[in-house]
Amino acid sequence: MQINFGGREIALKLVYYGPALSGKTTNLRSLHQLTTEKSRGRLMTLETKDDRTLFFDMLPLSFKAEGSTGNGGGMTLRLKIFTVPGQVLHASTRRLVLQGADGIAFIADSQISETEHNAASFLDLRQNLAEMSLSLKQMPMVIQFNKRDLPRVRSDEELAALAGRGREPVFRASAVNGPGVLETFFGLLHLTWDKLETEHHLAQMIGIEPSDLLPMAARQLGVTADVDAMLASSLGGKLRRSTQVVA
Amino acid sequence: MSNEAAPPPVSVEDLVLDGRVRIEDLVDREGLDELCRSFHALFGIAVRIYSNEGALLADATGEQELCAYVNTTLQGRKACASTVGGVKSLDAGERGDVTHPCFTGAIYRVIALEYDGRRVGRMIVGPFLPSSASQNEPPKSLLDVDRGIDAEQARSLLAKMPRAKPETVTRIAKHLQSALDLILFSGHKAHVTNKMHLASVRESYRQLEEKTTRLQEAFDRLKELDKLKSSFLATVSHELRTPLTSIIGYSEMLSEGLAGDLRPEQLEFVKTIHDKGEQLLSLIMGLLDLGKLESGTMRLAMRPIRIDPVLAEVVSTLTPTARKKGVNLVLDVAGDLVELRGDPERLRQVFINLVENALKFTPATGSVTLRARMIDDTGGDEDDGLALMAPTRSRIEVQVVDTGIGIPAREKPKVFDAFYQVDSSSTREYGGTGLGLSIVKRLVEAHSGDIRIEDNSPKGTVFVVSLPQAASRLSEAPRVA
Repeated sequence: MQINFGGREIALKLVYYGPALSGKTTNLRSLHQLTTEKSRGRLMTLETKDDRTLFFDMLPLSFKAEGSTGNGGGMTLRLKIFTVPGQVLHASTRRLVLQGADGIAFIADSQISETEHNAASFLDLRQNLAEMSLSLKQMPMVIQFNKRDLPRVRSDEELAALAGRGREPVFRASAVNGPGVLETFFGLLHLTWDKLETEHHLAQMIGIEPSDLLPMAARQLGVTADVDAMLASSLGGKLRRSTQVVA
Repeated sequence: MSNEAAPPPVSVEDLVLDGRVRIEDLVDREGLDELCRSFHALFGIAVRIYSNEGALLADATGEQELCAYVNTTLQGRKACASTVGGVKSLDAGERGDVTHPCFTGAIYRVIALEYDGRRVGRMIVGPFLPSSASQNEPPKSLLDVDRGIDAEQARSLLAKMPRAKPETVTRIAKHLQSALDLILFSGHKAHVTNKMHLASVRESYRQLEEKTTRLQEAFDRLKELDKLKSSFLATVSHELRTPLTSIIGYSEMLSEGLAGDLRPEQLEFVKTIHDKGEQLLSLIMGLLDLGKLESGTMRLAMRPIRIDPVLAEVVSTLTPTARKKGVNLVLDVAGDLVELRGDPERLRQVFINLVENALKFTPATGSVTLRARMIDDTGGDEDDGLALMAPTRSRIEVQVVDTGIGIPAREKPKVFDAFYQVDSSSTREYGGTGLGLSIVKRLVEAHSGDIRIEDNSPKGTVFVVSLPQAASRLSEAPRVA
């Protein structure tokens, strides 16, 4: 996170991680389509000629923190959403992209045949974080099981059972068609902001109340779906606000 | 993996998160100029682009005739300079679009250029006459600026000034802005790609370096261990030899009857002790040799020698063994062999070993041939500077050819490793310590020679030892006094 009081900007970095071909870039493309022209920048994709991500994709979203009180009035929220290149050989690039991430969405492939690739990519993520002296425990993270529209995928019951045992909220998605993309994004934004609030007391510092953030983001990004309903669509994990837990 | 690895110097956030985009970093100046000129050509209105810092980046202006005329008067020139200066320093304001009037009745528009939601510069469009201005009637401010201004002339030149509706200019400006935005995006993307590429290469390099360091450490450690092993072997071999000499000595004395006559059975036992002692001694000597060769402390008595007597001696030594096994042992030496520099005792050891080996693996009625030839080693078909190189490259090649069981291709690189046995099972048919060939290889190398294995057709193995001729035809390297 970077706060620039002079420029009245706060920048967050969200990273979409996951195995090769799990649909990270597709998530960004869908997100790009689902947001208003005013709030989104150009989707920057650095890809090879066969459409595989070479370095990263980056989608900038930004909106004014309207209606907030005190210092936050007129603050611009800049969200930079990155994907890492999934192919194994781009390990060094993945580490570079991961630097300074405020939150991670892990995009897994629902196909049963991809189970091992999901796990390997997750271990890779953990290793890369460890090399930056970070642990997954400190990192806001949601998991998306993508490609729900394909045959031979892990069943909903199975996912629910798996998610129930884990710490991370799990979203189901079919990024290529759109469902689940916003849910994942808002889930991640929610967890990320929650953590930043706990650490930096953003409500005090810039006057944005945690409970206001998601509805405000939805309004500004042109998302009409109900935020609470989106969060409720997750399986398992913990999406509850830590502030509420403390209170 | 160390956790203290320094973070790579370039991070992606620097590039895209907080990286302030500057037009001048991303866009080719001349290209930008061209873009503005094409707009000027299309709409007839001058366009200038300034960076955030106020540097002029592109300029597509043709001086209006009216302006040129005004500039011929002293006061007109002053007023014009003040207007232009005012426009240049004008900020595009909160809304990103302000209008600045000129005393001629024309106006300038200052429009903000944005990229990624941030101001990156501004463009100045004008001067042009708003279409609402009265038809060619010079305003009072123009006529009053200097007494030298002629109303008639001003009127006719004012007619040549471009006219545009404010909405039209807004549209034109928007169009230019979006063209520029695309160019900036492309430039930005290329810029990020380059930086990212560099950062990735650096990161990969850092990783490789880490790995290399670890490998080097492991390698150094292994070398250390290898040295320890060699020195241990040397010490132990030496210590083993001392008591063994006594065992061999006393068993020899016993068998010679120096301590009284022995019964035949006792004599046989004592002889076995003696034989096995000798066997053990040769093994220990082998270990000692290997240790010396590995540590480079083997002393060779090098002098110019002929190889044929050495080979003849080898054959005569091993002929009884060959006969006992029913293998035909043949010596085939060419007549033109030159001298080589070597230690005859060690070379004998080399060929005894090789021929013994060949005999061991060759069944009865087979043959083992020891053949020596001169060869011109010109390095295959590489004949560059042959006239210079050939005289230095004559070599003596000694082949030990057998018709034995042969060596599988995948085992060939390994047979020269110490203690290696092609068949390492406990029930193997052929004995041996696995030391012989590794000593042979090192001895040959100590003679600046090399050894390789070829297949014998239809079956069997050929060990080829190639030794350089004595340096007689080679001048010694000149010494620097």
